Amino acid sequence: MGEFYSVALTRNYQMADTGTKMIHLGKNSRSTIVSKGISAGHSENSYRGMVRVAPNATNCRNYTQCDSLLLSDTSGAHTFPVIEVGNDSSIVEHEATTSKINEDQIFYCNQRGISTEDAVGLIVNGYARDVMKKLPMEFAVEAQRLLSVSLEGSVG
Amino acid sequence: MLIIKDLHASIEGKEILKGVNLTVKPGEVHAIMGPNGSGKSTLSAVLTGNPAYTVTGGEVEFYGKNLLELSPEDRSHEGIFLSFQYPVEIPGVLMSNFMRTAINEKRKYQGLEPMSATDFLKLMREKRAIVDLDNKLASRAVNEGFSGGEKKRNEIFQMAMLEPRLSILDETDSGLDIDALRTVANGVNRLKSADNATIVITHYQRLLDYIKPDQVHVLYKGRIVMTGGPELALELEEKGYDWIKEQVD
Repeated sequence: MGEFYSVALTRNYQMADTGTKMIHLGKNSRSTIVSKGISAGHSENSYRGMVRVAPNATNCRNYTQCDSLLLSDTSGAHTFPVIEVGNDSSIVEHEATTSKINEDQIFYCNQRGISTEDAVGLIVNGYARDVMKKLPMEFAVEAQRLLSVSLEGSVG
Repeated sequence: MLIIKDLHASIEGKEILKGVNLTVKPGEVHAIMGPNGSGKSTLSAVLTGNPAYTVTGGEVEFYGKNLLELSPEDRSHEGIFLSFQYPVEIPGVLMSNFMRTAINEKRKYQGLEPMSATDFLKLMREKRAIVDLDNKLASRAVNEGFSGGEKKRNEIFQMAMLEPRLSILDETDSGLDIDALRTVANGVNRLKSADNATIVITHYQRLLDYIKPDQVHVLYKGRIVMTGGPELALELEEKGYDWIKEQVD
């Protein structure tokens, strides 16, 4: 059983090219990949994922979820999945989504008294929650703060 | 508390409000009715500061302050609440977290310390009971996977939490079955006091059976063209808007 969870945040003119390899060698092995990308400013965020299932590794199962969140019109997100399966009893799944923080969400928060900057922080942390909740508590708190700090001033 | 004078507003260059006048006093309930496209939702959007709309003329005073100068969040802190016609989903953001942020931002504005976690949870428990939402609410994401009725009840729950001085209910009755309508209306009635006021925007008289208005206004082509008591809503239900349109046009 292999698991890979990641959150990648890029801002300003950063370009990130991150990803993972999941190689199945044993029979009946299972793996999950959840990757969350967040792009702000003029940044580009790329995810590269390779899932390989060896010919002898029968009945394997992989599930990959790759989500991207754009915080500006000038940012980008790219996904490059590579899937190599050596037998026909294995199942490999890749799901990808791209979404943009929308003005309605921000205004909804504003109407409830939450400033735009805080609203973006809330929305981004909500988006990364699937991954954050897998982390040990202390680290999750730290990671959440880090996300909020990194976002400061990157919205507009 | 609220004085609207000759308010003009437009969206994408198209003028929607063409001189709205309205005065609301504490303790009152005002109903705003009118045919589709008359500007009812625009009025609620402009009062709450939705950036999609531009105010092109007129004044709005709220407890002596120039409302149009305030940011949307400060209007909220001043006590204006909008129950959205289409409540927005915010995936992954828990209701408890969302509400706690909202309440503490308001407290900060008022110069108060943040509310303790125990007090907050107690408040949340108390208020969600008003609209029959169960204890799972705190750990659900904002409106995500909520049914139409739950979304509207969640709006009233938030209203109960924030204790606004002026609540605007924008077609809170749309998409509700009779039972949900009653729950929502009872919630609104329980929150009513001599110090707060409510503006109810609706198409149908049905909601007004439960929430009794003091005044009923008809908005047509961006202006309030008629004002009356609760009997006006009944008359509209029976006769439609054509007779008013004929008088105006």
